[in-house]
Amino acid sequence: MSAPLYSLRGVVVGYGEPATANAVLHVPELSIERGSILGLVGHNGSGKSTLLKLLGFLLAPSAGELSFDGRVVDAAGYRAGHLLRRRAVLLGQDTCLLKRSVAANVAFGLKLRGQPVSQAALAEALGLVGLDFVEFGPRSWRELSGGEARRVALAARLALTPEALLLDEPTTGLDRASVGFVQQAVLAARESRGTTLVIASHDVDWLKSCADRVLLMDEGRITGEILGEL
Amino acid sequence: MDYFSEGLSQAVALLLSLDAETFSAVGATASVTALALFASLLLGLPLGFALGHFRFPGRRAARLFVDWMLSLPTVVIGLIVYALLTARGPLGEWGLLFTVPGMALGLTLLGLPIIVSMTATAVESTDTRLTETLLSLGADRWQLLLATLVEARFAMALAAATAFGRIVSEVGIAMMVGGNIKWQTRTITTAIALETGKGEFATGIALGFVLMVVALVVNLLVALLRGRSNGRQGGAQPGGVRP
Amino acid sequence: MRKLIIVLAMLSAFAFASTALAAEDIKIGTTTSTADTGLLDYLEPMVLKDTGLAMRWIAVGTGKALEHGKNCDVDVLMVHAPGAEKKFIEDGFGVSRAEFMFNDFVLVGPVKDPAKIKGRGVADALKAIAAAKASFASRGDDSGTHKMEKNLWKVASLPVPDKDSWYIGVGQGMLATLRIAAERGAYTLTDRGTWIKYEAKDQGKSGLAILSEGDKALLNQYSIIQLAPKCVKIKHAAARKLEAWFVSPAGQKAIASFNLEGKQLFFPNAAK
Repeated sequence: MSAPLYSLRGVVVGYGEPATANAVLHVPELSIERGSILGLVGHNGSGKSTLLKLLGFLLAPSAGELSFDGRVVDAAGYRAGHLLRRRAVLLGQDTCLLKRSVAANVAFGLKLRGQPVSQAALAEALGLVGLDFVEFGPRSWRELSGGEARRVALAARLALTPEALLLDEPTTGLDRASVGFVQQAVLAARESRGTTLVIASHDVDWLKSCADRVLLMDEGRITGEILGEL
Repeated sequence: MDYFSEGLSQAVALLLSLDAETFSAVGATASVTALALFASLLLGLPLGFALGHFRFPGRRAARLFVDWMLSLPTVVIGLIVYALLTARGPLGEWGLLFTVPGMALGLTLLGLPIIVSMTATAVESTDTRLTETLLSLGADRWQLLLATLVEARFAMALAAATAFGRIVSEVGIAMMVGGNIKWQTRTITTAIALETGKGEFATGIALGFVLMVVALVVNLLVALLRGRSNGRQGGAQPGGVRP
Repeated sequence: MRKLIIVLAMLSAFAFASTALAAEDIKIGTTTSTADTGLLDYLEPMVLKDTGLAMRWIAVGTGKALEHGKNCDVDVLMVHAPGAEKKFIEDGFGVSRAEFMFNDFVLVGPVKDPAKIKGRGVADALKAIAAAKASFASRGDDSGTHKMEKNLWKVASLPVPDKDSWYIGVGQGMLATLRIAAERGAYTLTDRGTWIKYEAKDQGKSGLAILSEGDKALLNQYSIIQLAPKCVKIKHAAARKLEAWFVSPAGQKAIASFNLEGKQLFFPNAAK
């Protein structure tokens, strides 16, 4: 068994001085295996989003140690954070589409990385979320329903074939069919590319249907694991 | 008073007869405005981005300063630029007084705060969600700046249009720094001031119509380009993915 | 955006094309009266033909024109404020002053003439206005006309009444001042050129009329001033050449031939 993709030790995220006194997240110990799907459930403000931002390198821990791919991420690592963010991609709740066409949105991350953009890659990414490239590719960001936009945003991350994909409430407000497409995409990413996924949601049943493990969070701490038929 | 009808018919006559003096003023207005607007955008966009995006000590003071500059009277800007450019002033060596580039410099001081302030506001209003989106897609610092400005393009087009309106219609700086020299620095607005001073009200109004025509042409061009680059017109609404 | 730039570039090319043919530019700092009357527009082609100089004038108030001269921002001055001009030369900003033409001022006021100044000399007229506390509109902008007016109060041995309620400091150009005088039924001092145009436009409906004219004190002398050599970058030789043309018989004749609404406005008087 290879080293876990993420391992957290004594990690605290807090604000002010000392940060530990105002912690919004406290994770004494957590490992996330490569190619696993980890679910996070909890109420709003339970620390799920903060944990995902931490894993997506949008936040640095105030204290403790975070290792990614077997290496401790130090201050220099965070200064060149875009290199890490190109490997672990977050689809946050606050994520929006760019004011461009659907195709341009999906191609955007590849262009940022200086990677060649092929129509086939864009079509594949859109196909994973159940959108037809010919129909949706040229559409403007304005011409999408909420569910379609959310799926395009997911496709834009899938196109990047990241090592880790971090999804914050990916199914909120989606209809049943869209939820199905998201689930299908998540499983396909893991199956075909070995992507590690961390998914936060308040929909326990849905999480249980696709995740390997589901952790329960409350007040910034991991308080337990939901066991049951997986 | 029949200044209006007289002015309108005179405006048509000036344009149709390709009146050399009028077209010289149109040309001076166009080059001064283009130069000043270009310089304002070149300096103002990065400054506005920095002001709207970064949290740094003194940011509020800087913001206050820029907004304060918006209300600086053009006569005062004209005086300051004159004092800088006069042969005996600190920049006298450059020989810019009573020239088109000199006027453009003065008018840049007018346009710059508009661009900075409106860009900062646009960047601020899109900021948190867009920044997170761009960062999570893997943007580095420069890509973040560039993409944020591209995303704020509608607001920036508005800023540019606003600055254009102020610059093209400005008269105090143009008069003071340009000197209203026939064939050279006489713009449409200073020509209007001259004609009004001479009591030729109808000619003044005619030139006013000419200025409006020029402004309309520019606005139409911008609208055309905007429409083409975007596919359709519309407000700058954030592309929300949240239902 | 690119299209826009191309259009703008074409327009500016048009603007510069019209100047490309011009020979040597000479920047003249002058007062609004020479430009607003159209005198310089009228003389421009003649000067170009005879001397190869393309006159480029910056027409502002006398005070500002002198300031432009002090700062070496123009090549030569063409102004009409003898007192200030002499001081300008004494202070070392100019080296010589050549008188070359004059026009004159007139005292205008309401046709009813409440202060009864019609036909009087200007000093008497001002005394009568002050005594009657009749409204008087002053340019109040430190222009040549304003300087002339202040000087006339001195001639009338009166202080400038700028604190009296009947004395209106307008702070605008001559036409605006005339319009305000007409509305308020006030007296005012104006140069004849502006008056001719004002009257021609107004066709005598304003209720203003010339009440005092021809007094020697009302003559307005124009001169060309050569700037000090410390202005190293300006075109001294061209400035001399311009002055030579204006005092030459050809220049003097040209000035006399200029008229406004059929009336001669400027009278050449260069020293022979």
